[in-house]
Amino acid sequence: MNARKSFIRRRPFSSLVLLLLVIIAGLIWNWRVQLQVFPSIISAYTAKEYCSCRFVMNAPVEYCHSYVKQWLPSTVDEDSLNKRITATGLGRGSAAQWEGPRQGCRLLPPVP
Amino acid sequence: MTRLLFTLALLIISCSAAAETWPSAQWSERPTTRNEAVSALESYAFPARDEATRKGVRTDALLIIHNGEVVYERYGGVTRADTPHLTWSISKSILASVLGVAFGEGRFKLEDPVATFYPPFNVHPDIKLQDLLHWASGLDWQEDYEYAPLNSSVVAMLYTRGRGDMARYTAEHGIASAPGTSYRYSSGDSTVLAAALKTMVGETAYADYPWTALFEPLGITSATWERDATGTFVGSSYAYMTARDLARIGLLMQRRGRWQDRQLLPQAWVDFNLKPFKSLTPTDEAPGGHWWLNTTADGKAGPWPDAPADTFAALGHWGQALYVIPSAGLVIVRYADDRDGSYDHNQLLKLALKAVVGEGDK
Repeated sequence: MNARKSFIRRRPFSSLVLLLLVIIAGLIWNWRVQLQVFPSIISAYTAKEYCSCRFVMNAPVEYCHSYVKQWLPSTVDEDSLNKRITATGLGRGSAAQWEGPRQGCRLLPPVP
Repeated sequence: MTRLLFTLALLIISCSAAAETWPSAQWSERPTTRNEAVSALESYAFPARDEATRKGVRTDALLIIHNGEVVYERYGGVTRADTPHLTWSISKSILASVLGVAFGEGRFKLEDPVATFYPPFNVHPDIKLQDLLHWASGLDWQEDYEYAPLNSSVVAMLYTRGRGDMARYTAEHGIASAPGTSYRYSSGDSTVLAAALKTMVGETAYADYPWTALFEPLGITSATWERDATGTFVGSSYAYMTARDLARIGLLMQRRGRWQDRQLLPQAWVDFNLKPFKSLTPTDEAPGGHWWLNTTADGKAGPWPDAPADTFAALGHWGQALYVIPSAGLVIVRYADDRDGSYDHNQLLKLALKAVVGEGDK
């Protein structure tokens, strides 16, 4: 106890930095699942909603690009022949497929 | 002679009172006369559309049905009369109507445990179907869309971890409050109802059930309902149809579950839909059984002061709305792409009532 107290006294700033690191590590551990899948949100959202915008709601290309636009950059690639959309964002990719007039669009595996 | 004439007149009056207008393949139209009230409604619902910043009220469709006839209809942006527009969470109330048909077929009771129809809920044996319909499962669910993407349950359900099997993802949530006691809006609750329907009607009938049970009897031809990887309808979010088709569900509800001569939804089901849920936790909304009401459980006024107390609605993300006002004979469909919070339900209801039936400024 005495030894630790003296360490904190001798190195107050280092102690604070160490404490912050421990807290940050704890938070990362706590949110590890969410953090791992988080980057997929942008590409999955873009692929799915763009697919539905084009092939379910039958909206024009330019409109659907602005419809799915988020505050983070993403790319969309449309295969209109097969009604398949691939999108990227935050370094991840996702694909969505139109499956029929009643079924609409669905994200393709793998699930992140 | 006088008596005969009187009887005849009485007969004619009673016949015309009973004569209701119903849509066939198309809606009949009786456009409202243009006046100041209609202009006021239009300038509220259709201001110059801001495509660059996507700010403000951005109505895609506004369709008003009065006593079964189209009295007002206008579209904005790229949406047209034949566009099957995304309804977002209006899907939940559409799902409730699909379930209403199954309820009428005796396939389940409101007090049945969810686990009876959806085995992953064996870990939550006390949650009943009616709790899901009240968004009161008690599951520890986070409904935020844009503002808390990291721990949003609904974003994870639709786009990441949950999307393979959305109902199972919901079932894996812990308990935050006792089932059936506290309202906590949850797309997960709705998705589990969509999964339970699979057992209720059987795997074979399931894929077409919304069509055979509800859409075809109402003459709805434009519907799409997207599914998750297991084939479960995304009952919370992904139903699409034209404004004119959605209005058919509104008219069905306005007329207490009856479509022409057929009681498609039992009256008891509609009563359940429209009964305010008494929640232990305070809420700004007035939830019923998968519909939104304008009267609270303790009899107080609901969230839309300028609309009658019997007003109810199905509401979705980005401004989607299906309003029903039985006392005014009104069904209103509003599709939109509102990306901020500037749109106000009460304002639209007030202006629409004034434009169509000359009320709303009481």
